[in-house]
Amino acid sequence: METEKLYEITAYTENQVGLLSSIAGIFTRRSLNIEKLLVYPSTVEGIHKFKILTRSTEHLIRAVVLQIEKKVDVVKAFYQVNDERSAREIRIVQEFLEERERAHGQDDIK
Amino acid sequence: MTHKISGAEILLESLLAQGVDTVFGYPGGQIIPVYDKLYDYQDRIRHILVRHEQGAIHAAQGYARAGGMPGTVLVTSGPGATNVVTGIADAMIDSTPVVVIAGQVGTSLLGTDAFQETDFIGLTTPITKWSYQIRRAEDIAWAVSRAYYIAKSGRPGPVVLDFTKDAQTGMAEYREASCSFIRSYVPVPKPSEEVLEAAARMIVESRRPLLVYGQGILLSGAEKALEAFLDKTGMPAASTLLGLSALRSDNPHYIGMLGMHGNLAPNIMTQACDLLIAVGMRFDDRVTGNVKTYARQAKVLHIDIDASEIGKNIHADLGVLGDAREVLEALTSRVASRKGGDWLQEPGRFHAVEQERVIAPETAPESGPVKPGEVVSVVSDVCGREAIVVTDVGQNQMFAARYSRFRHSRSMITSGGLGTMGFGLPAAIGAKIAAPQRPVCLFVGDGGLQMTMQELGTILQEQVGVKIVLLDNNWLGNVRQWQELFFHERYSATKMVNPDYACIAAAYSIRFENVESRGELRPAVERMLADDAPCILRVHVAETDNVFPMIPPGKSVNEIMLNEKEWFTNGN
Ligand SMILES: Cc1ncc(C[n+]2csc(CCOP(=O)(O)OP(=O)(O)O)c2C)c(N)n1
Repeated sequence: METEKLYEITAYTENQVGLLSSIAGIFTRRSLNIEKLLVYPSTVEGIHKFKILTRSTEHLIRAVVLQIEKKVDVVKAFYQVNDERSAREIRIVQEFLEERERAHGQDDIK
Repeated sequence: MTHKISGAEILLESLLAQGVDTVFGYPGGQIIPVYDKLYDYQDRIRHILVRHEQGAIHAAQGYARAGGMPGTVLVTSGPGATNVVTGIADAMIDSTPVVVIAGQVGTSLLGTDAFQETDFIGLTTPITKWSYQIRRAEDIAWAVSRAYYIAKSGRPGPVVLDFTKDAQTGMAEYREASCSFIRSYVPVPKPSEEVLEAAARMIVESRRPLLVYGQGILLSGAEKALEAFLDKTGMPAASTLLGLSALRSDNPHYIGMLGMHGNLAPNIMTQACDLLIAVGMRFDDRVTGNVKTYARQAKVLHIDIDASEIGKNIHADLGVLGDAREVLEALTSRVASRKGGDWLQEPGRFHAVEQERVIAPETAPESGPVKPGEVVSVVSDVCGREAIVVTDVGQNQMFAARYSRFRHSRSMITSGGLGTMGFGLPAAIGAKIAAPQRPVCLFVGDGGLQMTMQELGTILQEQVGVKIVLLDNNWLGNVRQWQELFFHERYSATKMVNPDYACIAAAYSIRFENVESRGELRPAVERMLADDAPCILRVHVAETDNVFPMIPPGKSVNEIMLNEKEWFTNGN
């Protein structure tokens, strides 16, 4: 099994109505949960930037990034492992949750 | 002083500028201004009035696939728009260029749940290549030129223009627009020299290469380039369902169709080749069977215009991004001529088994009811392989694909990726309108015909000379086959009680031929094909016939059933 990691996808796009839902739809189809989403003007004039954090395998992330880039109004899309940046935060959260569950039993949240 | 015209007229002028001379549509309240203007353009734009909007889009798809130019659809908002959704999804997955222009409520009413308002952009975003809402008359020419450019360039697909009523009635100056560049969009990527060199090296080093191709060959006009590549490299080639007719059926390198109901040779050789070259195809699961075991022994060289297809379903050792024709031509010039050797003897063995065990009993039975494969084979014979074959979905589709023989490109029109029942009849109408000089033969089941049978009215009104071959088995045959083979013969909701098709044909003044027995078949087909008038040929076929060979779902491509009881083994 390929391991899941937290990836940061960035997409540079035209500023078009409807592009957000169009891109979000790609994640929905693959049952990918968007952990974080930012949309803002990039430093390239007239070009917007999407920053999307999602957890998955590299194989799937690569497919998703190519499908994002395929959209007519998307200029470029990239991905990178975000683990370096957020590893510390994640470790803190994980340890917190593990500790809670050790104390209270498994939470069966879906 | 500038000269202003209405948005409706700007739309029609913009369509003419794109070379549009045929539109498939259905009027309604939110598109009435366009229809009003169309009244003045009747001499330049032929409007085909369908009987249901689904018919309009499938006809536009048939038109695009037969003719190579985008199909155009004009419908009203709300229900008119939602009725074309199936066809848009079909066009998306089968890469068919269509432009759908749908009416929309006025901009001041958007978002208010106004009468016949529906969020058409929202509905179609995931199933279009591009969708755009036109809210101002000034934007029409721009949007139309982009729409056609996007629909037909690169990997083609459907585009939606959601056209608000006030943009239709608003006045603006018409300035012709022509789009040939969108900065964020790279329709035809160019492969680098290094990649082409690497691909050529893989080909030269291979001993048992197999080329598998899809509709990309037709879409890029790469038929000749493919032939030349095969002649030079001497390798065998097999087609997907949508690639059919890209090579002539009698091309010496052609070894048949891939996939679930494809031929034995290409499916088995997929598991024996050392290099699999995939061109303009996307490794659909109906082609690959179990992906975990698919072509594991082979290196995979995937040539496609769409970067997102490379490595999506099947790992590619090398991906070549580009137009199929350009890449094949570049590779042909980079490899040395060679002969296929022993590897080329392989298909013959498998063909012999298939011929004896599957093809002969299906196409040339001596007794018993008429078989569907037999009907397809006789039709193919009588029209001298000249026809455009259109199919519906189900067993009829697989029999038509397996037993039609082709001489010309763009001669097989079928709903592949979506498998849309009801596609056939309207698609055949569109194909005949795009290619009036060619016979168009539709193979359709009793289920699928009744899904869009209202389009017989379109045939009546427009006198479209479609030849409708109804393979009537009184079952939803394809589902019945699965129930027989995989669901313990529990025939849940697949038996059909059918109407008297002679009466239906008579009601629409369409000629009717009925065939119950073998002796009647050929003469009836000959009468049907003797002229160019619409005709329904209803053949009562063997009711519980099954399509074979069959790779059951989830199996590897070399695990093949030859009939209800026997599996192919390499010894038989
Ligand atoms: C719109 C739609 N609904 C349902 C199906 C599922 N389906 C696939 S084949 C088939 C049976 C087709 O029966 P018929 O049209 O009589 O053709 P046959 O298989 O008998 O040739 C069905 C129901 C489908 N492909 N499309």
